[in-house]
Amino acid sequence: MITLTINDKEVSLDRPMSVLEAARQAGIKIPTLCYHEALKPYGGCRLCVVEVERMPKLQTACTLTAADGMVVRTESEMIAKVRRGILEFLLINHPLDCPYCDKAGECELQDLVNKYGATAGRYREEKRKVPESHKDHILTRNMERCIVCTRCVRMCNDVQGASAIAMMGRGGHTRMEPFSSASFNCEYCGNCLSVCPVGAILSRLYIHSFRPWQVDTEVETVCSYCGVGCSMVVQVRDDLIKRVVPRMGLGLNRGLLCSRGRFGYEYIHSQDRLKTPLVRRNGKLEQATWSEALRHVAERLTGIKKADGGSAIAGIASARCTNEENYVFQKFMRMACGSNNIDSLSRAGFAAAQKYLEELLGQGITANMIEGLKNSEVILVAGGDPGTVNPVLGLAIREAFRRGAKVAVVGHARGLERFTSIRLTPPLFREEEFLEELLAGVSRVRGLRGEKLDVDRGIRAISDAYPGISGLEGFDELKHALLDSPSTSIVLGSGLVQHSRGHRAIFAVAGLTYLLEARLYLLAERPNEQGLIDMGCVPEMLPGGRPLNNHDYTRKFEEAWGGPIPEEDGMTLMEIMEGAKEGRVRALYIMGDNPLVNLPGGPLIEEALKALDFLVVQDMFLTETGRMADVVLPAVGWSEKSGTYTNIERRIQLLRKAVGNSSGMEDWKIINDVSGMMGYPMAYEDAESIMDEIARVSPLYRDLTYREIGKGNSLWPYHGEPLRGEIHELPAAVNGTGSYTANFYLAPEKVLFHSGTTSRHSQALMRICPEPVLRIGPAAADTLGVREGDRVKVSTSSGSGEFPLSIDRTISDNRVLLSNNFEGSGVLRLMSYRLDPVTRAPGIEGCEATITRL
Amino acid sequence: MSVVELVKKVLFMEVLQGLALTFRHMVSPSVTRQYPLEKREPFPGSRGLHALVRDAETGKERCVGCGLCAAMCPSQCIHIYTSEGDDHKKIVDRYEIEVLRCVYCALCVEACPYAALTLTDHFEYCGYTRDEFYYTKERLLENWDKYMAGEKGMNYIKNFWRPRSSDFAAPSPERKGP
Repeated sequence: MITLTINDKEVSLDRPMSVLEAARQAGIKIPTLCYHEALKPYGGCRLCVVEVERMPKLQTACTLTAADGMVVRTESEMIAKVRRGILEFLLINHPLDCPYCDKAGECELQDLVNKYGATAGRYREEKRKVPESHKDHILTRNMERCIVCTRCVRMCNDVQGASAIAMMGRGGHTRMEPFSSASFNCEYCGNCLSVCPVGAILSRLYIHSFRPWQVDTEVETVCSYCGVGCSMVVQVRDDLIKRVVPRMGLGLNRGLLCSRGRFGYEYIHSQDRLKTPLVRRNGKLEQATWSEALRHVAERLTGIKKADGGSAIAGIASARCTNEENYVFQKFMRMACGSNNIDSLSRAGFAAAQKYLEELLGQGITANMIEGLKNSEVILVAGGDPGTVNPVLGLAIREAFRRGAKVAVVGHARGLERFTSIRLTPPLFREEEFLEELLAGVSRVRGLRGEKLDVDRGIRAISDAYPGISGLEGFDELKHALLDSPSTSIVLGSGLVQHSRGHRAIFAVAGLTYLLEARLYLLAERPNEQGLIDMGCVPEMLPGGRPLNNHDYTRKFEEAWGGPIPEEDGMTLMEIMEGAKEGRVRALYIMGDNPLVNLPGGPLIEEALKALDFLVVQDMFLTETGRMADVVLPAVGWSEKSGTYTNIERRIQLLRKAVGNSSGMEDWKIINDVSGMMGYPMAYEDAESIMDEIARVSPLYRDLTYREIGKGNSLWPYHGEPLRGEIHELPAAVNGTGSYTANFYLAPEKVLFHSGTTSRHSQALMRICPEPVLRIGPAAADTLGVREGDRVKVSTSSGSGEFPLSIDRTISDNRVLLSNNFEGSGVLRLMSYRLDPVTRAPGIEGCEATITRL
Repeated sequence: MSVVELVKKVLFMEVLQGLALTFRHMVSPSVTRQYPLEKREPFPGSRGLHALVRDAETGKERCVGCGLCAAMCPSQCIHIYTSEGDDHKKIVDRYEIEVLRCVYCALCVEACPYAALTLTDHFEYCGYTRDEFYYTKERLLENWDKYMAGEKGMNYIKNFWRPRSSDFAAPSPERKGP
């Protein structure tokens, strides 16, 4: 225990720390400019000087480690004089344009000058003149105001790992500059913006439009862009979202955000939002009143249910909606429509993998804290790029790499390009074989665990079939690293799941997780992919992950819901689509999703949606799918409603309402009303009353309240009873593989700046990344004779499209990557699919493409 | 009761004293002004209707929309909305004062770093609706033209509402916005 005295106050420390941290811990404020809690101490600004007894000179508190018996004084005449002098030096060049500068009011320099003085400068010469730079779409740089604290550069290099900016020039001419000198052209995380103490870096999204003290309300909420669920603060003036800011230390992201979260809020106030319900009359979508539209939906659904039974109705839930909305949706489908045909687009990725993993290893296998990644010794990343799908999770991997962990990447992950220790490039679309080989190699050395007999049996079958050695570069290094590692994390992305043999890759990953006792993370593109499953928006499970075919479980739900739950097996996503095409499904209710763009097999989906008798779409915007619907109902977005999201670590987090409603209604309320008209009244008052019911009926959420969730620590398994793996379905012993010899194979690429419908209506994100780009390897570019920026035509068996081309050094094989997440020109539409027999996820591997230069 | 008191009472001394005061005032000059007919010159620096200073050089408002006046205003009757202009400069889209809520404390004028806002010496204003007392930016600028134009306004600012910031380092002129 270290005990020191700061300002006559005795402070005891439980771990070694700097004098500055010790003072903060004791509630004593020492002024700083270059120090930031997210960054390493730098000792550049000299404002944190303190007097230490028996030390002849003033010491910088941020770099001085607290020692036992130290006597520190943080305020004295001499210290104040030094601080005043330093501030006077800073003001030599810092312009006094506070009334004009947007930072005024939350400017650290302004506050310090206000406190310590330097009321007039003695320097009579001209101030440094640097014109403000507006060359970037998102950030404004005003280098007159820069005080060279280097926080932005340290943030960019040491925390974000983007290394996009640096200090240039010397002495009084030092300034921060991006390497391209004009636009930043970086990951646009905006973390430099949030650490800048003065107005040197400002966001152009809200520049000059308000002053910090004019914010009416500040709402702590959760980001709606991906499955990480970063905490953020939404600042509102006059019912308009002015900006989204992180709060240091808040939530699992600890004050870091990514481009989507920080700059992607504009869609809420987009002019393109649906304003009234639309009903198709005489083949055209026309505006209608709410009561007309809802009555129409209820009548048509009741009619179809009477004529063909509940199984002719299907529902698609959404990972963009909250837990409450998904719960109400599945209850509506099961009880009001009498159908178990309920699935979501998450089936083409997260849900498929998650369900199979839980069957193998038990519920909650992916419930691992993201913080745990930072402490891992070996991290295996397969099937996706955490840096773009879940950027803040990607930061945790980068941090682990910097700390010395081994990061192994299977395939292509641009976000981890400079953070990879072992790069593995198995033959295209045959990653599952590589993972099985790795599993065989590991199990030979490690042996079986004997805990889960079925999984052991599967692993034995694999290690019998493979030699466990591979000529692939990096294979042995990875195998030994995994075997020697005291703590291993495995990150699985949807790339390996969207494969007709995807279950084999998932089994191999599950086997590795099981043998190495690793932490498993599943990347999730949407905010509530986990909650969706937990709420029972899958055909075979009720809320809390209770299987439908077990009467002990269904009885409890039937009692609570007041009626019988249909017994017929439900259809999964692609089966619903095929059923619609064949006429078995007559009505489809889609809540907050756009299958026409977000699912492979475009022509088939279009045919299926056309064949439907009745299609209802609830969304914020009129999407492609919405244009084909019979009824379109406007929903409200992220900051307009409250509810809960369950993130990839299965933490339940509270989404709080920040701005008033537009003309839409909450998804749960729409369904609540339709259900009432169909003779199954639900009568919920608000989202909280739904959560109360969930906590009552679902064994997983026992006694969970908003009050508790609001504290941010609702971690798996809450107070509930998780199921421990009950059903096992081992992979079919298919050892066959496809042969891939075509010139080019098309694969979707996730874009850091977009995530589908909502981001497309955020102007800032569109300015950063306006259109989909086709990426090809340098070798392929040579054979085609194309250069960066050329426009090319890509054709597949399902269609074609024209895109600008970009050459990517990291692609070494014959795959071409096309950004997905763009409406209108979605890559998935161009791809055909084959269903995985076990997970029922659509496999999109081996999509041959031809590329012609325009 | 003493003898003196008795004498005073008999002679109605108190009544006479009172009457003496009355008669004295009957002949002294009157201090009441017949207001609408007879007007008085306001004292220098008096606080009347608000005006936004029009910059003689640019012909536009001096205000850069820093919002300090609105932040200081105890009755919160100032509303300011700014945005980014064409050349990335800050422009003041709306500057509005609900005059009926104003208490004429002039803290807004004291807070202004650029002497862009004053209270004029015009104090006689009336209207039939509340809307007439909702002053927009244009009307506030008109007030300057009407009541403070030329030397008068500048002297007014110099003598009474000189911004405190001019005691310290002067803001560089080209950073002042429009």
